[in-house]
Amino acid sequence: MDVAARGLGKATSRSGERALGIAALVAVVVSATLSLVVAPPDAVQGEVQRLMYVHVPAAWLAYLSFFVVFISSVAYLKTRRSRWDRIAAASAEIGVLFTALAIALGALWGKPIWGTWWTWDPRLTTTAMLLLIYFTYLAVRRVVDNPSRRARWAAVIGIVGFVDVPIVHLSVVWWRSLHQQATLLRVGGPEIHGSMLAALLVGVVAFTLVYAYLMTLRLRIGRLEERAVREALSPQVGELEEADV
Amino acid sequence: MDENVGYVVAGYAITAIALGGYVLRLFARAREARRRAEVVAARRRA
Repeated sequence: MDVAARGLGKATSRSGERALGIAALVAVVVSATLSLVVAPPDAVQGEVQRLMYVHVPAAWLAYLSFFVVFISSVAYLKTRRSRWDRIAAASAEIGVLFTALAIALGALWGKPIWGTWWTWDPRLTTTAMLLLIYFTYLAVRRVVDNPSRRARWAAVIGIVGFVDVPIVHLSVVWWRSLHQQATLLRVGGPEIHGSMLAALLVGVVAFTLVYAYLMTLRLRIGRLEERAVREALSPQVGELEEADV
Repeated sequence: MDENVGYVVAGYAITAIALGGYVLRLFARAREARRRAEVVAARRRA
């Protein structure tokens, strides 16, 4: 875990942050070009299917964000090091953004295809629950003042809340659902046209780079806020070590 | 042109506004956090 933390420390240096920002921006431009210009319209759904190239990556990043919250929460409870709590908090905030985005994009896609913005379908309902769980996670972080108690309570929610992620993913298999089956992670591999698959995969890579960039920014804020608290409380502590993520 | 293209435009616009807006908000929060850390450090030195 120390190796992972050191690697993250390098990525969150100012030069690493800038490089990630540029890479994310380039990837987003390439992804938008592939999905809006290069990929053909769907034979059945027409142009509106292009929403898949942002909806699926947003949902994927929600899963990834909450997986990082889960791993960091386990690491915090095991080591009690505040860096893991900061990583979990940063990833939860970004995960909420991507979950809300996935729901909004799904609603925009659902209206012309299903005839409704929202329905209490298993996939939609479990995703709404996921959003509520991590809203609760962020709310707990705001209301608990004691830093170690806040980190401990948040870690427990981060671990228990992650149970909903596989439920969201498998909801379309377990229950009758309006929502289509998994596009990428399915038995037998993806069943979409090559150019559509390429646009989708580039979209996933671009969103993952955006997530990494947002994490570096959010972690820098966490470090600065902790530094202010440390400076205010301790006469010995003046500088924050760069390696302390 | 496909009659549903407006949904696509809205979806990509919402994505750009949400992600771009969040990045700008993080920049502002970073500036504020740095300023607060410097104020606390200056007070300690004084």
